[in-house]
Amino acid sequence: MATDPNTEGGVNPKPAEERLRHYVGSEIEDIADARDGEEEEDEEEEEEEEEEEAREVGMRSAPRKEKLKRAFRRLSQGPVRIRVHDVIIRGNAKTKDALIEAEVFDAFRSASTMQELLQAANFANTRLRRLDIFDSVSITLDSGPSELPGTANVVIDIVEVKNPLTGDLGVYTKPEARSWSLEGSLKLKNLLGYGDIWDASGAYGFDQTSEISVGVALPRFKAISTPITTRISLLSQDWLKFSSYKEHLLGLSVGLISTKKHDLAYSLTWRNLLDPSRMSSKAIRSQLGHSLLSSIKYTYKIDHRDSNVRPTRGYAFQSSSHIAGLGPDSKLLRFFRQEFDLRGAIPLGFYNTALNFGVAAGAILPWVGYTNSTTPLPERFYMGGHSSPICGLGGPTSLLGFKQRGLGPMDLRRVLSPKQSQDEATASSGGGDDASGSIASPGRDAIGGDLAVTAFADLSFDLPLKVFQDAGVHGHVFVNAGNLVMLSEELTNFSFQRFLHTFRSSAGFGIIFPTRFFRMEINYCYILKQFQHDHGKTGIQFSFST
Amino acid sequence: MDDERVEDAQEIVLVARKGGFGLPTACPVCLPVYCYLRFAKVNFKLRIDRSNPDSDHIPYVEYGDYVALNNEKGGVLEILNEENIIQLDSELSKDCFSDWVSTKVMISTWLAEAVQYELWVACDSSIADYIYFSDLPWAIGKVLHWNQSRAVKQLHGITKLNVTEKEEEIYRKANLAYNALSAKLGNEEFFFEERPTSVDALFLAHAAFVINALPETSLLRSSLVKYANLTRFVETFKGDMLEASCSSSQTASPFEASSSSVPRTKKSKQSPKPKPKKRERTEEEKSFRRRAKYFIAAQVVSVLIFLTVLGGMGDFGVDDDDNDGLAYDD
Repeated sequence: MATDPNTEGGVNPKPAEERLRHYVGSEIEDIADARDGEEEEDEEEEEEEEEEEAREVGMRSAPRKEKLKRAFRRLSQGPVRIRVHDVIIRGNAKTKDALIEAEVFDAFRSASTMQELLQAANFANTRLRRLDIFDSVSITLDSGPSELPGTANVVIDIVEVKNPLTGDLGVYTKPEARSWSLEGSLKLKNLLGYGDIWDASGAYGFDQTSEISVGVALPRFKAISTPITTRISLLSQDWLKFSSYKEHLLGLSVGLISTKKHDLAYSLTWRNLLDPSRMSSKAIRSQLGHSLLSSIKYTYKIDHRDSNVRPTRGYAFQSSSHIAGLGPDSKLLRFFRQEFDLRGAIPLGFYNTALNFGVAAGAILPWVGYTNSTTPLPERFYMGGHSSPICGLGGPTSLLGFKQRGLGPMDLRRVLSPKQSQDEATASSGGGDDASGSIASPGRDAIGGDLAVTAFADLSFDLPLKVFQDAGVHGHVFVNAGNLVMLSEELTNFSFQRFLHTFRSSAGFGIIFPTRFFRMEINYCYILKQFQHDHGKTGIQFSFST
Repeated sequence: MDDERVEDAQEIVLVARKGGFGLPTACPVCLPVYCYLRFAKVNFKLRIDRSNPDSDHIPYVEYGDYVALNNEKGGVLEILNEENIIQLDSELSKDCFSDWVSTKVMISTWLAEAVQYELWVACDSSIADYIYFSDLPWAIGKVLHWNQSRAVKQLHGITKLNVTEKEEEIYRKANLAYNALSAKLGNEEFFFEERPTSVDALFLAHAAFVINALPETSLLRSSLVKYANLTRFVETFKGDMLEASCSSSQTASPFEASSSSVPRTKKSKQSPKPKPKKRERTEEEKSFRRRAKYFIAAQVVSVLIFLTVLGGMGDFGVDDDDNDGLAYDD
């Protein structure tokens, strides 16, 4: 069997291309000849010399392109029957054979024709590269044993990563943080040979979140053929400015199923809410303390839009269900949280305009005793902030024009008695908290809501200048609305009419800059409707989404 | 304002840790406040907090729109005194003032430390578990208990080498204190001026806890019960002052989770001042900040425009490699 010089220190083949080196029947010979001729010609000459030593000379006489045409003609006339006899793996000093075999076996086993075999080889190449633990992957089709005609051997040559430790810095979105963050991480690849990727990361989020976590991801684990991830994280979020509390989390999360459409994860989280400012409202104060969350979260997502950055046609849907309280201990937090998110995009046919629209809704309820117990503060819905609702499927959280946690149920912060505020004035140089803009007023804490609904409509269009069009910079006008209410006290008194009447809304226009890292919008928002304690502001606003 | 406070007395709420051992609140930090309010004959409601075993803001008292937290300005009792909500200690005569102060300090330091030691180090862990952690999930309770025991040992400088000496010192001081208190009380009903003061409330809470919650094998308990008049003091007032049903109603905190509270001496800030609020900004500073924000925003926008318009778009528009059906989909 001729060897492939390219995998022994020579130039590696182009990504996602396998090279046919050996021939089973004349059809394969022709294809290989022709393809070799068309691509890397220098290497071809070298290989040709080597091959001539082992093979018939006459094959090389016909022009290569003619051979390729003939080969494809034969292939197109009908299936060329062939089956895979053996899969040989070379180059894996550390990686377990079983891992590589499990990634590729199914594809090769089911291939019964030459065409299917080529496809399977391409597929296997992609799968192995996606493991992210190899520097290069090369798949060669070899002839099977001479006593078994019509068979092929598959030779997989891999080069494992030379340096298993890599560092990374980037901007990511994380579902558990519900926002985007700047993250630096160190990755250790394939430590145990099972395709395991260990990583330690630190993240700083733009919603005052900081996190340190370590995790391991396995491409497959025993019978489960989808990736499994486990993560332990220590997270701290500072909500003092908006809700007068800080949140410390120590969590273990296990991602059980992670495919394009489905995501199932279990998490066990120890959460502590505290108030170092001692200014929290009564509603927040009653929620301070320790709690343990044992929950499972299932997300179903489909996104058939044509682009993540500027959707012009298609639809997307996401449903996220979160059940907490799994375990024998009756003191675990117990609630059920559901979110729906539906987006659509319709092209309007002129100037590349498109109409995007969407509606998102979410609700959270305690399991038992829902009329007299409350939902946990960090799990409630909050609205407002700098994220744009148009592209991402983030649930009912975005309402352009309103500040972070800027609408919904609020509670009055602690009022200092005159004597206390006098002491405060002498101790520090300022007066009372000016969250609401007034020195005397103590401000309000956003306490979140149990039922949230948002909706938006957006018309995007190209800008007249060609330079903008080429760069993808475009404009949009939008209108959006949202509402957030507490449910637990009002479940029996819930009035749909009142809920509709208390919707806040805003409208505006802006320019969108899609960059490599994120999509930025510069919008002018005009608040159409807001209520007394909301923090909506008419004016220029920046929005980001990744 | 005084009239309002008198009216607000109807709305006084004491938030404390859970009760047990025949006591309305079994936490030795919360019980003195309870006794104080009862001695002052104030109508109040008792609300139980189950989630904060290690926080020092508990116990706290809500009175109208205001709240007195225990981790401010010397504690709840000090604040209630200063706000004139309760004036149990006003009008003490100058003669007994210094005596009163030193007695109060003795109870608040020596006896309080002795109770802490008994609860977290000497005695069986089940007492502290019941009071502070029985309403929390088991795993959290275990970790917090271990943490608090370690904090108490650190606070008293107790190590494996000096545990015996430290223990002797703690008990010796407690004994001295009991001796002094017994001598001070004599056959009187109250410690000072034949009327209740905060010293009576503090000692009643301490002694009721020691007698009811600590086991009979406890050295501290044995020291206390040797003094008949101190025991009589507890028995006299226990019925009136410490019955949970009298003029107070217990309401559970919303979560229904039992959380024992541990006085958190390690992590919480002990500073007497609350976190300083934002300084009142002058107009100049405000406009300066606004201009600075616009300047930075303009810089960011120009960099981004440069990157997008002149530097190319990047990979955002490229479809996934998965489009040929190689995704991990079902």
